[in-house]
Formats: sequence, C-alpha cells, structure tokens
Amino acid sequence: MEAPPVTMMPVTGGTINMMEYLLQGSVLDHSLESLIHRLRGLCDNMEPETFLDHEMVFLLKGQQASPFVLRARRSMDRTGAPWHLRYLGQPEMGDKNRHALVRNCVDIATSENLTDFLMEMGFRMDHEFVAKGHLFRKGIMKIMVYKIFRILVPGNTDSTEALSLSYLVELSVVAPAGQDMVSDDMRNFAEQLKPLVHLEKIDPKRLM
Amino acid sequence: MGVTCVSQMPVAEGKSVQQTVELLTRKLEMLGAEKQGTFCVDCETYHTAASTLGSQGQPGKLMYVMHNSEYPLSCFALFENGPCLIADTNFDVLMVKLKGFFQSAKASKIETRGTRYQYCDFLVKVGTVTMGPSARGISVEVEYGPCVVASDCWSLLLEFLQNFLGTHTPGAPTVFGNRHDAVYGPADTMVQYMELFNKIRKQQQVPVAGIR
Amino acid sequence: MADVLNVGVNLEAFAQAISAIQALRSSVSRVFDCLKDGMRNKETLEGREKAFIAHFQDNLHSVNRDLNELERLSNLVGKPSENHPLHNSGLLSLDPVQDKTPLYSQLLQAYKWSNKSPFHGVAGGLLNQESLLARASAQGLRARQRPNSLLPPEYVDDVISRIDRMFPEMSIHLSRPNGTSAMLLVTLGKVLKVIVVMRSLFIDRTIVKGYNENVYTEDGKLDIWSKSNYQVFQKVTDHATTALLHYQLPQMPDVVVRSFMTWLRSYIKLFQAPCQRCGKFLQDGLPPTWRDFRTLEAFHDTCRQ
Repeated sequence: MEAPPVTMMPVTGGTINMMEYLLQGSVLDHSLESLIHRLRGLCDNMEPETFLDHEMVFLLKGQQASPFVLRARRSMDRTGAPWHLRYLGQPEMGDKNRHALVRNCVDIATSENLTDFLMEMGFRMDHEFVAKGHLFRKGIMKIMVYKIFRILVPGNTDSTEALSLSYLVELSVVAPAGQDMVSDDMRNFAEQLKPLVHLEKIDPKRLM
Repeated sequence: MGVTCVSQMPVAEGKSVQQTVELLTRKLEMLGAEKQGTFCVDCETYHTAASTLGSQGQPGKLMYVMHNSEYPLSCFALFENGPCLIADTNFDVLMVKLKGFFQSAKASKIETRGTRYQYCDFLVKVGTVTMGPSARGISVEVEYGPCVVASDCWSLLLEFLQNFLGTHTPGAPTVFGNRHDAVYGPADTMVQYMELFNKIRKQQQVPVAGIR
Repeated sequence: MADVLNVGVNLEAFAQAISAIQALRSSVSRVFDCLKDGMRNKETLEGREKAFIAHFQDNLHSVNRDLNELERLSNLVGKPSENHPLHNSGLLSLDPVQDKTPLYSQLLQAYKWSNKSPFHGVAGGLLNQESLLARASAQGLRARQRPNSLLPPEYVDDVISRIDRMFPEMSIHLSRPNGTSAMLLVTLGKVLKVIVVMRSLFIDRTIVKGYNENVYTEDGKLDIWSKSNYQVFQKVTDHATTALLHYQLPQMPDVVVRSFMTWLRSYIKLFQAPCQRCGKFLQDGLPPTWRDFRTLEAFHDTCRQ
C-alpha cells in the first residue's frame, strides 16, 4: 500500500534544465574486443551490462521552421522495463575551453502506451532503429559501445541489418546546466582510451 | 492500488461547500475511519497551439496533465476518450519545452484537496474542488484496496457508498465498464478525476446557490 | 467356605445396591447426553433455551434421586468381610509358605498388566492419528510414526499438478527452495494469492495475500512470514489455518490437500458473494470472509453458526 502523503504541496516538478555533455567516436568491429577489455579495466567494477534497444524518432511539425523531435526507446531484452522518452535540444559546440558537445536534455520514464500517446499528441514517426551493445559507467560518466541496425520491415524488429562494420562509442554525462568542469573529466577519460578510439566533440551540423 | 470510484457530492441545501465537507468527514469519523494526512489531485489543461491546428487541419484536442499526491513521483497525461500516459515528473519539463505546440489554457488549473481517511481496507478522500480562488464543488473518492478487478467489487463498493452518501450514491464509473476483467490501475482513477473536473467546469456557468 | 464370604452381608440389599448403581450411571450419562446434544431446534432462541434448561434440570433431579437411593442402600449392605479383589484366588494369599511360592503377588502383577494392555493399543492408535501431538514430538519419532512423510517428491509433484489441472481458475506454482519440502504459490483468479508451506504432502502453514501484493522478499524468495496489508486477507489467512486443522485425514494426505484447495477455490467470489445469512456485503468494513467447510457458502465471520 502506498505510504500516506506527508505534504500538501502540489506535486509538479521534475529536474529543470539538465544538460548532456557528449563525446563520440567509433571503432571497427575487429577492435571491439580490445576496447571492451580496456573499458572493463578503467570503469567502475560492475557486471558487464549489455543492452538491446528499439528506438523510434518522432516529429511534430508546426509552423516553425524546425520540427519538434522526441525519441522513444524501449528495451527489447528486458520485459517490464519502462519506456524511455527523450528530448534533446540543439547541440552547442561552445569554445575551445569546453571539451564536449552540450545539448539540453529531458529524460522521462513512461508507461508502455507511449507511441499511442505521441500519435494522439500529433507526432508522426520519422524513423526507427535497433541499438545493441555494451554499457559502462565511471562515476557519473556513461560509456556506450553499440552498433546500429536498420529495420527492414517497418515495425518488425525481428528482421534487422547492421548499418555499418563499426561500433559507435559515446561518452556522456547528464548534469545541471553550467557545470562545464565535467567536460574536463570526460577529456581525461577519453585520453586514456587513445589510441583504441578517438572520442571527439562532433558537430552534427557539419555532417548534414 | 485497488478499485476506486470517484464521484461528486452535491452541496447540501443551505450549506456552504466547507460545511458540507465537514458534514461528510464527521460522518466518516463516526463510522470509525481514521484520519491519515491529506491529499491533492491537480489538473492542467493544454490546447493544441493555433499554429499546428491550422496546418494539419486536425480538430483542436485538449490534453490534460495531472498529478496525484498518492503517486508523488508520477505525472499523468491524458486525452478525453484517449490513452493515458503515466510518466515521471520530468514530463512537466517537457511540457515547458513544448510551449510552441501546446499552450496551457488560461486559469484552467483545477484541483481538489482534502483529507485522507482509512476505514478497514477502504481509503476515502473527501476534497474541495477549487478553480483559481473559488471553491466549486466536492469530490469523494473511495478506494477498496484488496480488489483489483472493478466488476468484482462494484456491488460491495456500492453498499459502502450507499451507507456513506445515502441518496447521492453515484452510478458505476464509465471506466469500470470498459474492460471486463482487466486489472484496475492508477490511470483509471485519473480518468475519473478528469471527467469529474470537466463536469464541474461546465457547471461553472450555472452557479449553484450556496456555493461560497 | 461359603460361610466365610457371607458373613455380615445382606445379599438382598447387595442386589438392590447394584441395580441402584446402574440406575445412577444411566442417569448421569443422560445428563452428559443432554449437554452433548445442546439446544434442540425450536422456532425462537428463547424457546430453545427454555426447553434445554428444563430438560437439564430434570436430568439433574433424577441423578440426585438415584444417589440418595444408593446411599440408603449402602447402609443396609453392611461392611463386607475381608474383601478379596480377586475373589477366590485371594485365598492364595493366605498360604503361609509365601516365601517359597510367591504365587499371589505374581498373579496380582499379571492381572494389572493384562488390564492395561487394551489401553496401550487404544492410546497408540490415538497418538498416530493426532497430528497436533505428532507435530510437537521429535522429528525422528514422527518419521517412524507416519510413513507418509517419506513420500517421494515426485509423488507430491504429481498430486499438486493434478490439483492444478483440476481447477482452471487456480494456478499453482511449486518450488523447493529449502530441500525436499515444497512451497506452493497459489494464484486464484485475480482475487488472491496463497503461499502454502508443505511438509511432504502435509500443509504446514498458509498465508493469504492480495492479488496485487508482493509475495517475494527482496532477494526474490517466497516471503512466508509477513502478513497481508489488508484486513480482509488477514482474516482469510486465519480461516485458512482453521481449515487446515479441519481437513485432517492422516492416511490419505492427498485427499486433504485436494479438499483444502477445493475449499480455497470458493474464495474466487470473495468480493462478489453476499453473506448467506444477513444478505449484505459488508460488516465492519469486511466482506464475508468465512466459507463453510461443507457447503462452501459465504458468511461473515460473525454470521456463521
């Protein structure tokens, strides 16, 4: 039974203005093994964690120039886990003193009727993919090494095809705005992964 | 979480909202119910912003974002006759980001606050529904904790409600009829509160004598 | 010889005294019969009580009458001569050369033994049947007394899975976290869950919880100790424990488990069945939690007879 509430405060809230600091890189399939080995040595002592996620990207088009983008992610290998809804703001490169890409971010855990609800809100699905890989942690830093799979038949996550012959490596930290010091820690950590992988702040605008 | 019935209690003739609430709570205490803190349910209404409305030609739907002190870390988002999303409170932050697409209706925030009572396995919450500064009505929520299927215990709930509310006993909530033997969930309670709030909002145009 | 026995004994009075004792015995047993039968069915409670009290009083009066009669006769009988408990064989004790032939003392001992032996048989049988006593006795002793506790686990599995198939709305999950003793998690529809701790095919303990309540401890084991948060299931737990004591048939433990499960299944309508006596759903905030052992009808705890 739920504990009796102790407060009369209206329950609204959430954590305002969180930022994601991000460094990215990639490794070829054949060097995956040695990278994993290195990460296990460097990161917090924990059971190696793997994940298999299905991500759908939803767009809400208005009269504004750019559509509103939301990402809905669900675990395919852990039943009963909540869905993950994510908003990511425009990435800022910043100057040389900040060593990571920064973007606004809102993470929400939701019930499993998320896609229906987003449709009801007027969102339309833009694209989807399957991500499969490994997860490591060191303090508040999160390191994901994963491969992206294209979904051949829309909606059917059983038939997939690898997008490339390499793994994506992401080093990220979610912290309140203005804590740029965390990017120093990230750079130090990235240094230790060289020359296995070069993690850099990559401006997505440049790639388009 | 058990099966819950949310209903409106009309204001007793010649009494104010406050007096009617006191009448109800006294009745509960006579029954032997124990006071257990307070509760609060709130609801904010969002319009689809005019910008999206024109371009896509879809009818302007209303979205409700609600909170319930019984589930302090959750946020409920729902459409009338539509799905109800249960999310954590970061959803409120997302609504701020979505300002360009969804705008909160002016002064539409409606909430009910009151005392939480426990009687045996029943949880009874009598609340005053307020919109802005004025009290608009009375909400009565009765939850029967041990049971999870609405159709199983409706007769039992009805007997309790009849004892407690007398002639103002409500009919079965519409959410009870939706799915025959599905497990009742917190979202079903929120849908009932949304319907209650909408009903009370409409009553606003015809002010009832005696409301303070 | 006959003269020796007859000295000072009024045979006539003796015969009367014996029949007086018989009369007393039968009137005493009538008193107990009357108590055992309790109140007879009458239209009203008051009528029942009245009839019972009158009947009881009559019986007590007749006991009193018979006792007085016996007392009167016992004075007439007079003091019997040196009384030999073993009739004529008592004369053996008169044998002066007792040291050489201790016939009489041996005879007495043998008599005592043979007198006791039928009681041994009865007591042994009772002990075997009485599981409450057996439970308190040492483990090894019980194992010898009840060959059933040596049933192979496969047999227990088989009995449980047959019961599982018998009731479609009831699912039984069997596990053995601690050696050979089985634990059952019985889920009854969407109404309740029952944890049943077994010892071989004997049910040792049951706990009833709500369908939405957690039945596992933090480390993922079945939680056999904590009780339900809801009063209604605490009450049903009490009744289930009563049912365990009611359904006892040591020679056929599988029948006991089946009867218990059949009884348990009647709780599928825990929230839907009004009390068969008062016709209401709620009494002191609780639905009818009692189920009759024979008819499986629903009653409030206070409405059952």
